[in-house]
Amino acid sequence: MIRYVVRRLLLAVPTLLGITVVVFLLVHLAPGSPGLGGPGSLRRATGRAAEEMRRLYGLDRPLPERFGKWMSRVVRFDMGESFVDHRPVSERIREALPNTLLLNGTALLLALLIAIPLGVVAGGHPDGTFDRVSAGALFALYSMPTFWAALLLQTLLAVQLRWLPLYGLASDSPPAGFAGVLDRLSHLALPATCLTYGALAFVARLVRSGVAEARASDYVLAARARGASRRQALWRHAFRNALVPLLTLVGLMLPALLSGSVIVERIFVWPGLGQLYLDSILSRDYPVILALSLLSAAVTLLATLASDIAAAVADPRVRDGTVS
Amino acid sequence: MKRRGWALLVCLAAACRPREAPRPRESVATPAAAVRAPSTASVPPVAETPLDGGVLRRRLVAEPTTLNAVLQSSAPEAEVLQYVQRNLVDFDDRMRLVPGLAERWEASADGLEYTLTIRGDAVWEDGKPVTARDVAFTIGRITDPKVPSNVYKPLFEELVSVEVVDDRTLRVRFKTRYAFREMAFAIPVLSERSFAGQDFLRARANRSPLASGPYRVASWKTQEAITLERNPRYPGPPGHFDRIVFRMVPDDTTAYRMLTAGELDEDQLNPGLKDRALRDGDFLGCCRLVEFYDLDYNYVALNNRSPLFADARVRRAMTMLLDRASIVRGLYKGSARIVSGPWSPDSPAYDPGLPALPFDPPGAARLLSEAGWRDTNGNGTRDKDGKEFEFDLLVSEGSEVGRQIDEMLASELAKVGVTAHVRMVEWGSFVERVDAGDFAAASLAWSAVDPNPDPYYYWHSSQCAPKGLNAGCYGNPEADRLMEEARLERDEGRRTEQYHRLHRIFRDEAPAIFVVNASKKFAFGDAIRGATGSPLSFFFWPGPLAWWQSTPAPAAATPAPASARPAA
Repeated sequence: MIRYVVRRLLLAVPTLLGITVVVFLLVHLAPGSPGLGGPGSLRRATGRAAEEMRRLYGLDRPLPERFGKWMSRVVRFDMGESFVDHRPVSERIREALPNTLLLNGTALLLALLIAIPLGVVAGGHPDGTFDRVSAGALFALYSMPTFWAALLLQTLLAVQLRWLPLYGLASDSPPAGFAGVLDRLSHLALPATCLTYGALAFVARLVRSGVAEARASDYVLAARARGASRRQALWRHAFRNALVPLLTLVGLMLPALLSGSVIVERIFVWPGLGQLYLDSILSRDYPVILALSLLSAAVTLLATLASDIAAAVADPRVRDGTVS
Repeated sequence: MKRRGWALLVCLAAACRPREAPRPRESVATPAAAVRAPSTASVPPVAETPLDGGVLRRRLVAEPTTLNAVLQSSAPEAEVLQYVQRNLVDFDDRMRLVPGLAERWEASADGLEYTLTIRGDAVWEDGKPVTARDVAFTIGRITDPKVPSNVYKPLFEELVSVEVVDDRTLRVRFKTRYAFREMAFAIPVLSERSFAGQDFLRARANRSPLASGPYRVASWKTQEAITLERNPRYPGPPGHFDRIVFRMVPDDTTAYRMLTAGELDEDQLNPGLKDRALRDGDFLGCCRLVEFYDLDYNYVALNNRSPLFADARVRRAMTMLLDRASIVRGLYKGSARIVSGPWSPDSPAYDPGLPALPFDPPGAARLLSEAGWRDTNGNGTRDKDGKEFEFDLLVSEGSEVGRQIDEMLASELAKVGVTAHVRMVEWGSFVERVDAGDFAAASLAWSAVDPNPDPYYYWHSSQCAPKGLNAGCYGNPEADRLMEEARLERDEGRRTEQYHRLHRIFRDEAPAIFVVNASKKFAFGDAIRGATGSPLSFFFWPGPLAWWQSTPAPAAATPAPASARPAA
């Protein structure tokens, strides 16, 4: 088991390096340059101003030299400073990261908490009424565009009923203590809902198909024969078998924790990483784009690794190498 | 991401401003201006005395990257800084230069040197006087190669020296005479002390600047809000509001919701939202539209170096094939004006008496044939010397209006045997291609940062892309001469006449397809008074500082529930 983990970790290093090179090249070879101006830009840098800017940010140096400089900083965990506001990139990420983690973490958790029971129950009676109805409902949700749902929710719950706030992280002068927590939660409710409902469908359907398949298998039948209740057979035996693909799926969903959702963040004025990423791309803020790309690449690698390890724990055949 | 056209920016060098009073602006009687809330009970008597107090809540489309006025590069930054930093001199609502921190400025006889005098009562928020050294420091930073000051650098490209004569007097010398030189002094002033011993780009003052204006920065919550409070030491008349809160709301629709829910007092509306607002009971019950024309316009650049567009007859034909009147009616619902030269009709350079070329497809077809473009091989597309009249019409991604204009043009062109492919191009690549002159035709938007009408850098033959900013590389000896003369002409009357002659050449030679100058549409909460636009939008003095609220205090703190509003 340990050898398996170590081997995977060592494999991750060249992968990460490869990603770094590709991202660096993509960012620097893409058309446009800093000084292009982001949203609401007044004046692009032109002529001499553009020339000076290139020199200031070292963009007049050859590409390999820039890459070397950048790499030498990255290995020391120094992401440099933003071209746009000259603050350390790490500081800008630190400001947005907690907001994104809170929103996406809540959404992921909610999605799993709702989708797993749905999937197990639906899988317990494949093609039963519940399975058909939930499948219909889930596909309807899955196909509903986020921005549209967000606007509907805003109109109904925030503008007309006034139950929930329209936008933002918290009220301007949030109350202290428990009321403050409630205030945060009420601000979180709508954006988290928007990010949750789309993920419900594929988690629930994946669990459902795993459970439905396992349900018909000999070992579940045997468990029933040995006197396990329907419920026990479903959760303890059938669901556990459906767990392996689910773990892989969750592993693939984890990076989304960080990548943020530009649409939801924009609509609900949620200052997260998605908005930061978009702004930095529009204004060609290379250090920020590179840092965020590297971050999400690293998280993706780690999450894949974690889900593989979890799969190995859940299924001995994986670590033995009998199944991949 | 509101403005996705090609923000080219006006003015480069600056200078001695027109002495004549600009033509009175057309009173913009668009339908929107007449729209009022049905709940007119709160409409005040005609002559009002501004009330003090309350909180003004404005929207920013993006997070300001800095509050260092020299480093500012976007509208959100300018909107905040307008309250905090006074300029050395300012533009008023008719684009005239008026005193700011400088009370006087005089040119030497040769027009190369300017002597500026700082007001005696100008102080920073800590009570220390604003000095000529601060101004010299500011100009020094603007021209510093290690300082990315994109907005102000072009104003000082011909700077020779800055000399501090005494605390209140400053001499600034330039290499050449220039008719618009005085416009270079419409710059903010930074306090030298607040940068002492610090790196200019990373100084603390970049997030909490030392104020010289009527407000100072009280707080800045990243990606959420910036709050300003009154600067008690400001010597001029104080602002009317106790506080100004700028909220960062990137999404237009959310901002609109916030406005109708009473959580914002001001917001710029895109054309789609304006149409919606006029049919929305919530909007009519809470808010009103303020609509006006500024100096921006859009156009389709034609590459004059391309064999397709080298002939002025062909370019004229292109203009005659774009139905601008129906663009005004359909696309802009009447709130736009056709332009026939590289200025807004509000610019003194624009000759309002000069009729634009008509929409005339048969006439255009004749011009194309005269220029030798005929369909000799019968494939439906005109050709000449074996070359088909076929080209890509570039538009930057996200520019919906630009795309629609291009589609209209392409369909008219198709009817006379010219094939244009509308191509959406990502913003970065778009700018790169236009700057390099690597295009046949491209939809652009001109966005003015100051009233300087000098077209030299954009239309003079010496400024061809990729070296200069004349992207389409237009060149005409007569136009060149007029541009050279006008930028040295100190007499405003003669200069205006030169520009009007130039305007006629631009119309007749059609170096580009000039399209329209569209109105700007802002929404204000009903309680906000005194908001008037100008050719400089709200970027004039005193601009937003003249706004006030008819019912201060409580209205700002707790908005009434939206459900309590009258339905349409």
